[in-house]
This record gives sequence, C-alpha cells and structure tokens, in this order.
Amino acid sequence: MPLSEDTLACLGTEVPLAKIDRALKELWDSDVAKTRASLINLAIYSEATESLIENNHLLAKITAENACRALLITCLPEVKPQRARAWINALCRPYQGKQIVCSEQISFVLEGGDAAQVQNVVFAHLDSDLPLIVWWQGELTKNFEERFYSRIGTLIIDSSTWDDPRREFASLGAAKAAETSHFDVRDLSWTRSHFLRTALANAFQDIKAREHLPKLQSIEITHLNTERCAAVLLAGWITQRLGAVLDEAQSGLVFQKTDGTSLRVTLIETLSGCALQSLRLIAPCLEVSVTRDGLSSFVRVNATCEGHSHEELLPADVVSDAELISEQLSRSGGSTHYSKVLPLMVKML
Amino acid sequence: MSDLENPFEETLLQRHRAEPCTVVIFGATGDLTNRKLIPAFYNVAACGDLPPQFKLVGFARREKTDEVFRKELEEGNRKNSRQGHNDELWNSFSQSIHYHRSEFEDPAGYVQLKLLLDQFDRERGTTANRLFYLASAPEAFKPILEMLKAAGLNHGVDGKWARVVCEKPFGKDLATARALNAAVADTFEEKDTYRIDHYLGKETAQNIMVLRFANALFEPNWNSKYIDNVQITCAENLGMEGGRGGYYDTAGALRDMVQNHLFQLLSLVAMEPPTDLSADSVRDEKVKVIRALRPLIGPEAVGANVIRAQYTAGSVDGVSRVGYRQEDRVNPESQTEAYVALRLFIDTWRWQGVPFYIRVGKQLPKKATEISIHFKKPPQVPFATARLPGSSENTLVIRIQPDEGIALRILAKQPGQALSMQQVKMDFRYSSSFGKASPEAYERLLLDAMAGDATLFARRDEVESAWKFIDEIEHAWHRSATPPPMCEYPAGSWGPKEADDLLRQDGHAWRLL
Repeated sequence: MPLSEDTLACLGTEVPLAKIDRALKELWDSDVAKTRASLINLAIYSEATESLIENNHLLAKITAENACRALLITCLPEVKPQRARAWINALCRPYQGKQIVCSEQISFVLEGGDAAQVQNVVFAHLDSDLPLIVWWQGELTKNFEERFYSRIGTLIIDSSTWDDPRREFASLGAAKAAETSHFDVRDLSWTRSHFLRTALANAFQDIKAREHLPKLQSIEITHLNTERCAAVLLAGWITQRLGAVLDEAQSGLVFQKTDGTSLRVTLIETLSGCALQSLRLIAPCLEVSVTRDGLSSFVRVNATCEGHSHEELLPADVVSDAELISEQLSRSGGSTHYSKVLPLMVKML
Repeated sequence: MSDLENPFEETLLQRHRAEPCTVVIFGATGDLTNRKLIPAFYNVAACGDLPPQFKLVGFARREKTDEVFRKELEEGNRKNSRQGHNDELWNSFSQSIHYHRSEFEDPAGYVQLKLLLDQFDRERGTTANRLFYLASAPEAFKPILEMLKAAGLNHGVDGKWARVVCEKPFGKDLATARALNAAVADTFEEKDTYRIDHYLGKETAQNIMVLRFANALFEPNWNSKYIDNVQITCAENLGMEGGRGGYYDTAGALRDMVQNHLFQLLSLVAMEPPTDLSADSVRDEKVKVIRALRPLIGPEAVGANVIRAQYTAGSVDGVSRVGYRQEDRVNPESQTEAYVALRLFIDTWRWQGVPFYIRVGKQLPKKATEISIHFKKPPQVPFATARLPGSSENTLVIRIQPDEGIALRILAKQPGQALSMQQVKMDFRYSSSFGKASPEAYERLLLDAMAGDATLFARRDEVESAWKFIDEIEHAWHRSATPPPMCEYPAGSWGPKEADDLLRQDGHAWRLL
C-alpha cells in the first residue's frame, strides 16, 4: 500500500537527509524550554507500510519512559526507483510541571532500500557513545546482514509474528554465531510470558507446593491462536526447569521427568483475548492456576495444596507492544533463560 | 534441582525475593503507618513483589474492627500511594490486613497476638516467617520487645525467622541507644534486627557506591590528593508546622538528622570499597568512617568546629514565619538548635586533611538534600593570564532530594577571541533520563527486610559509634560551664553568619544551592 502525504505528515518536519543534524540543532535552539534527553539509540525497522502510523504512535509512548534518539525506518525494498526521505520530530513530556523533556525522532522512508542504504541511515544518525537497540519487525530479510547486526547491542524481535519460526530462528542462530556479532536477543514472545513466569515462581515460594512438583502430571496453557511461540516458550521453560526431557517418540508434547514418569503439555488456542490467558499445573494433591481475565491489569493465582487453598492477585505486567518494549529497555543484559530454552522451543514448534 | 529449591525462582532473581511472612506493625494507627508503610506495602503488591500468603497485622491501642482499620488505611493509600490506587488490587491486598487491639504493655495482648498468628499459619497450612515493625513512639520499644519475648514470638519456629524493624529515633544519646540495643539484643539476634534509616532507601543514596566504585573517572580521584572539601547539606524550608515542635524541641537538628541520616550519607561518601556487597562487608566499611571521625571533645573544640543556631522571625516564599522560640509546642527559652553546621575530619589515609562540612536546618530558603564534592584546582599555568570566574573548582553534586540526580561542574572556554572561562554544568536527572519513577525508600527497605538483606539498615555498632561522637557535642553544649553560643539567623536565610565564617576560615564557602 503506498504511503500518502497525509500519512507522512504525522512524522514531523520533512528535511533533506544531508541536513538532518542541522535541522535537529535548529529544532532545539528554537525552544530553550525544552531539554533533550537520551540514554540509548532505539531503531525500529519495518518493511510494512501499514505499520508506519502504529510505530509512530508506539515511539511517542516508549519515549515517555525511555529517553532516546529514536530512528523509525520504513524500508520498501521492492519499490522503484530508489528514493530516501526523512522527517524529524521532538517527542516531549512534561517534567515536574515546569520543564519539557524531549527525545528526538528521525523517521526514514527508504523506497527501494537495500542493506547498504539501511546501514547508512542508521549509522549516520546515531547519538554517539550510546548503545544501539534495534527492534526488527517481521521476518529477518536480506537487509538483516552481517555489517548491520555486527554493530548493534540489542536486537528485539517478535517471533509470534513470523510465518515460519523455524526458518527465522535458524537465520537468527546463524547471525548470533557469526564471529563479529555481539548482540543480545530479546523476543517479545518471551516477554509476554513474564507475568506468568513470575506468578508461577511466586506460587512455588510455598514449600508445601514445591513438595508436590515432582508429581506434576500435566500443564495446560491457553493462548491466543497467533501466540503459539509465546505459549511454546513458556511450556519449554517450565519443563526445562523441572528437568523434564521432550519425548520425541510420542505424539504431542509429552515429556519424561527425571523419575521416568510422563508430563503432558496441552496448548489450548483461542480466537480472542490476550496473548497468554491461563496456565494450569496439575498434580495429584496440587493444582496451581494463573489466570488473566480479559485485559485486566492483574492475574489471579489460585493454589490448592493438600486441601488448603489461597488466592493472590499479582500485576499482569504488560499488554501493548509499547509496554513490552519499555519492559525490555528497563532491563540490562539479555535473558540467559531465553537462550537456554530456545533449542527446546524450536523442537517443540 | 533439590527438592527444596523453587525451580522457577530464577525468574525472580532480578527482583528482591521477599520470603512469605506475616508483618505486625506496632503503632498501626499512627501517621507513619498511614502515610508511608501501608502505601509502601501496597506499591510492593502492585509491583508483584509481595510474597504469597502475605498477612499484615496492625497492633494498636484503639478499639476498631478489621473493616474500620482497612477503610482508614484505604483513605490514606488513596492520598499517598506512589502509583495511585486501584480498587481491584486494594480489595485483594486489604484482605491480608487485620487489626489487633492491645496495650503495648499488656501480656494478654501478646498471647492473643500469638493465637492470631498461629491461626493464620493453620489457614495457610504452613508456618510463616514473622516481621515485627516498631512504628510506635520510641518509649514503647522496650516494653514491646519484652512482651514479644515473654510471648515467645521473638524466635521463628519450624525453621522460620522472626525479625524486628526499629524506626528512628534509635535512642537519644549513647546511653539510651545502648539500653535499647541491649533490649533488642535480649530479644532478637543482631542478624534479625533491622534499624531503619529511610535515607538509605533513596535511589541516589544507593547510587553513591555505584558512582564511586563503578566509574573509573571518579574512583582514582576520590581521595585527599584530588578532593579539597566535601559538603553535605540538608535544608528544609519548613519550621515546626503540624505540632512537630513538641518532639523536635527535645531532639534538635544534631540528634534528629546528623546522627542518623547525614552520618549515613557521610559514611557512603567516605567509606573504603567493601570486599563484597554483603550487608556486613558494606557496614564494616561504613562504621570505620564514623570511628575515624576526629573527636570533638570539650567546649573549645566544639565551639571551633560546630555552629548551632535558632531561627528568628523572617519570611520563606513570601510568607512570614515566627522565630523558633515562638513556635507551637517549643519552649520559649529553648536551647535546642534548629540549625547546625559542622566541620569534620576523618583521620584515615584517604581523607587526611580534607574537611567535611555538614549543615542542616529548618526555615532555610528551599528544601534540598545534597552532597557536593569539591575538587582541588589544577595548577592552571597555561591559563595564568586568562580571566577566571570566582569559583573555579570542579564540583560533583549528588542531589539526594528533590530532583534526584548528579551534576558535574567544569570549566569551559567562553566563545570569543579572549581566553575567558566559564563554569558550565553537566546535569543528569533521574526523572528525565529514566521515565519510570523510583520506588519510595520504604518500599525498598520493607522488601529488603522481608528478603533478609540488611545492607541498607544501620548496625548496632554504627548507631553507637555515631551517638558516641554526637554525645561529646551535646555535652559541650548542655553540660559545660562555658558552652559555645547559640547563634541566630532570620527564617528564610541560609543560616547564621557564624556558619559562613566556619568555612571562610579554611578559604571555602558553602555551595550555593
């Protein structure tokens, strides 16, 4: 779908690529009441024109909590002839009622954009000495190449959006294995299960409940049909933490526990609701369920153990992509838990 | 995986892992509980950090039901919660809150308390840890501790712990602090005793160690070779509003602020690097700073290094203010200081010859707590003919509150043909750099107490060493035949002239806030 000029107008002031720095300087000089703040370079890369408006709104939300130099790159490799356009904007929020703190946003639309052009616009417009975090939306296309990923610190992906997760994880694995790459991977599908993992950990702070874990018989996860990756990652993490091994000879997701007994994982798909809706762990004298009602800000944890029941209300963390990204940006370092579960997850897909 | 480990807890490692427990607050109908403690627990719950099956029992003298108590706390939470108030969360959280009426000195009340706690354990199907929070008036601490011991509540059962959190003031001098410490030690082990100083829970106070020890830019320069002087300021633009005069007039600025909060900041600024981040390693280094303070013994030494003052009538923010002795509940002939400035020396290799100036006072022009590190000037030979601003040393400012952050003042060449230099400021602000609000100090400290991390709590020897130093000054003021004078300053000014003179003698001046 071609981008209309009305759509592009929301990106701010259009400037020639060669004059971006000067235009930014003029932007700040024109208003002394505004303070520029930046802790990171955050680049969002997409090859889908329809995501432009949404990404623009996302950045406004993300920068409210994360001061950054934001680069919004919409790359349309198939469009001819090659043409690059840029816009600048200040994303501001009030600070202590008297001052305005702003992040800078530079948006690019790269028609006919190839890997070289993408690298050029990103690397020419970074806030120096600050880490580069790239949210690569969609498939890892040919523009995701070595000279690009070898310079980034953190790569954010969303495996739930991939049509062929096996293929994409293979590409990602190859990039990670490259000698020059040093990036951490953050998968939004993994972040989506954070509240369930935390709730589960909280529920098993109770020693009585822990005593029944070795007798666990089944795990049920209810998820939105588009969020299979998130559900599989969660299931993989739980079984891995329990020391269970996937029994590939069996149909379905059946695991063998350390005592030789089986543990069955059932993934239940729904057509509506939030990404991950409930998690149930069942053993003969134990049932722990974590449920999120609709888009509630809280999850209900119900635990019944040896006849004693209790219920807790815990925060459900985040829902929107903006919140998921903010959650990622607030953490330092990659997730070793995610890296550990990834090979198992690929087998489970 | 051992049978006893929680296999899923790795996901909690980034957070403070509070252990399942019941918290009992003594003085539960007081201002601290309503304004600080309950909103802190609520916000810990909102962040998902409360342990499962958490219970909170309010222990106080007044007659009321659980429902009435919860309703009162709800009103307080609506006003004071950092993250706002969510009815759904409150309804769930408040179900864990209970009220227990008893006199602090009534043994039967503690027997009943024990029965209540045992009942909670039966409902849970397991024994819980217990945290006793002394938020009552300090004179009630000792009887409460004795009663807890008599009721057998001072020890955990079935491998669980029992801990006590003591609010300030922890004593009013060395003798009372020792007596209180003895009472605590008679009831709880030191490892289970958490003396709270909410300054240590502040984000910027915790950042001092990171700033010093994790930045190669500062770590090698943090000593007498490069640092000229250090100033710690705690200014308040309020006086004795809300009936504070009654307590304050019995304490004064030195006891109320310097002995605890400001000595804690001083320790963090001056301590040697700890060998690790365990509670005792950090506190070992902090207490060494207090022990190394050059003693001020006798009225002459005190008079030469400590200025005390009271404010006279004046105005703050355009509003007229009465003098200290005219304040509500203050003795008209009071000899209590509302302002104190100290010049201290730390007799260690690192700090030989570096003065540490501390000032704290009421009715000053603005509210601000900050630490400023003033570096020595370079020889400046190449710029001998250049025009220099009056104050040209590099200064590192750590703002504790409000507007938490760090500023670095450096010299830069002014644009133009002439070689003129100008002070410029590089400013880092927590709020503008990190959009997310920091947790309140009490949230962090309560979580730490429930998680068994005492790093941010004062240890017995820290408290007693600080009182030992402070007592000498108090004795010179109140027990000597020739006490140093009580100075005066108009409300709304930056303190007495004598405090300015104290620094002027050394060729220094108070930093302009």
